[in-house]
Amino acid sequence: MSPKPRIALFQCQWCLFSQSDQEWVDTQLPENIHLTKTPCTGRINPLYILNAVQGGADGVMICGCLPEQCHFKTGNMGARRQLEEFNDFLDYTGYDKARIRFVWLDLQDRGIIQKQLASFEQELEVLGPASNLVTRVKVAEGGPDA
Amino acid sequence: MPDIDTIKTEAKRLLQEGVVEVVVAFKAGDTPMHPQPAFFSSPDEIDQLVYSGLCQNNLASFLTRLPKEKKIGMVVRGCENRSVDALIVEKQKSRENLYLIGVPCEGIIDWRKIVEMVGEAVLAVEENAHLVTVETQNGRFALERSILLHDSCSRCAHPNPMSADILIGEALPEGDPSLARTALEEFEALSSEERYAWFQKEAERCIRCYACREACPMCFCEECFVDHIEPRWTESGATPAGMQGWHIVRAFHQTGRCTSCGACERACPMDIKMTYLTEKLNHDMRKKYNFEAGLDVQTQPPFATVTLDDKNRFVVS
Repeated sequence: MSPKPRIALFQCQWCLFSQSDQEWVDTQLPENIHLTKTPCTGRINPLYILNAVQGGADGVMICGCLPEQCHFKTGNMGARRQLEEFNDFLDYTGYDKARIRFVWLDLQDRGIIQKQLASFEQELEVLGPASNLVTRVKVAEGGPDA
Repeated sequence: MPDIDTIKTEAKRLLQEGVVEVVVAFKAGDTPMHPQPAFFSSPDEIDQLVYSGLCQNNLASFLTRLPKEKKIGMVVRGCENRSVDALIVEKQKSRENLYLIGVPCEGIIDWRKIVEMVGEAVLAVEENAHLVTVETQNGRFALERSILLHDSCSRCAHPNPMSADILIGEALPEGDPSLARTALEEFEALSSEERYAWFQKEAERCIRCYACREACPMCFCEECFVDHIEPRWTESGATPAGMQGWHIVRAFHQTGRCTSCGACERACPMDIKMTYLTEKLNHDMRKKYNFEAGLDVQTQPPFATVTLDDKNRFVVS
C-alpha cells in the first residue's frame, strides 16, 4: 500500500466551536496530517502555504470561520481575498488547484472537519503525490532550520 | 518626443525658486544606450539632464529611499506617475512634498532588442517619434521604433501621466486596455504541466541578485522576506525551490499594487520573463474588484480592504 498523502492543515483556533471536535484535532489527528493552529485565518500568510507545499505536503487544507462569524470581525474576509487569489496564482504557475482546499465552517457545525479531511485525503490519493513546485532541500539533522 | 529644453527650464525653475530640494531625472550614462538616474540639487547641474526612450528605470523607486519630508521634483512618465500615486495611497510619501514634471511616454526602447538586431557595439543612438537611428562602426541603421519597444510598453494602457503638476508636450491617445491580456494568453493556452515547465524554465535561470526587487517602486520593505533570517521564510540561496519561491512570492506581493511598468523585467540581468506573473494578478484584480493600481490616490488596494459583499464572492466548500 502506498503511503497516505501528507496534508498540512491550517486551522483557525476559533472555528471549531465544538469542544469535542477541537479535542479530536488537537490530540487524535492521523500521522499524515500536520496541524498548524493560527489565531485567525487572517494570520495565514500565503508564504505559509508555499512553505507547506515546498516542504513536501501533497495537499493543504485551510479551515476557518464563515463571514460575519470571525472572532476578529473581518480577519477571515481578508484571508479569503488573499488566499483564494494565491491559490489561483499557484494554479496559474502549474500547481494543481485541487490540492489546496478551503473549508469555511459554521460555528454551529459538528463533526464536519473529520468528514472534510477524509474526503480531501481520498481526493489526494486519486491525484497522487504532488510533483509540481520543487520541494526544499532537506537540511541535515542538527543544522539550521531552513 | 517632449522638448528636452522645456523639461530643463522647468527643472531649473523648481530648483531656483526653491519649490523642491532635488530633481530626480536621468543623465547620460557611460554608454550611449544606458542613461542613468540622477539627482540634481543645484540649478547648474540641470544641463546634464537627458530624456529619451532609452531611460529604463522607474524613477519612483527612488522616492522611498529619500527622506520622507524632502521636497522632490521628478520627471515622470505614465507608469512612473501611477507608481507615485500607488506609493501615496500606501502613505510612503505625501503629495505636498512632490512636484511631478509629466512627460507623455511613447514607450521605452529595449536596448537588448537593438543589440540583437544590430549585432555589434553601438556607438550612438538617435530617435524620433517613429525611427531609432543606431550608429555602429559599420554604418548607420534606421530601425522602426514600434518593434523595439519593451514588451510591457507595447501593451501600455496609460502612457500619459495622470496627476502630474505640469505636462510637457502633448498628451498621447490612451492605449488599448485589452492589450494587457496579450502577456497572458500565450501562457494560459498551455496545459498545467506545460505552464509549470515554462515557469520552471524561467525561474531556474534566476541568480538571486534581486535586481527586480531593487528596480521595483513598490518593493520598499525595509527587510524583504528573503532576507529574513529568523524565521527563514524561504531558501535564500540559488536553489530550485528558493528560486521558484522567490518568483511566486515576489509577484504575489505586488497583487493590486503593480502598475505594469515592467521595470523588474528590464532590470533582470538574466532576461527572465516576469510580467506574465504580475499581469495575471493585475488582470484578476481588474476582473474581481475592478481595481487598477495608481489610477487615483484614494482607493485602497483590494487586499487592504474588505466588504461584506465578499461573503458571496467565493465558493464555500
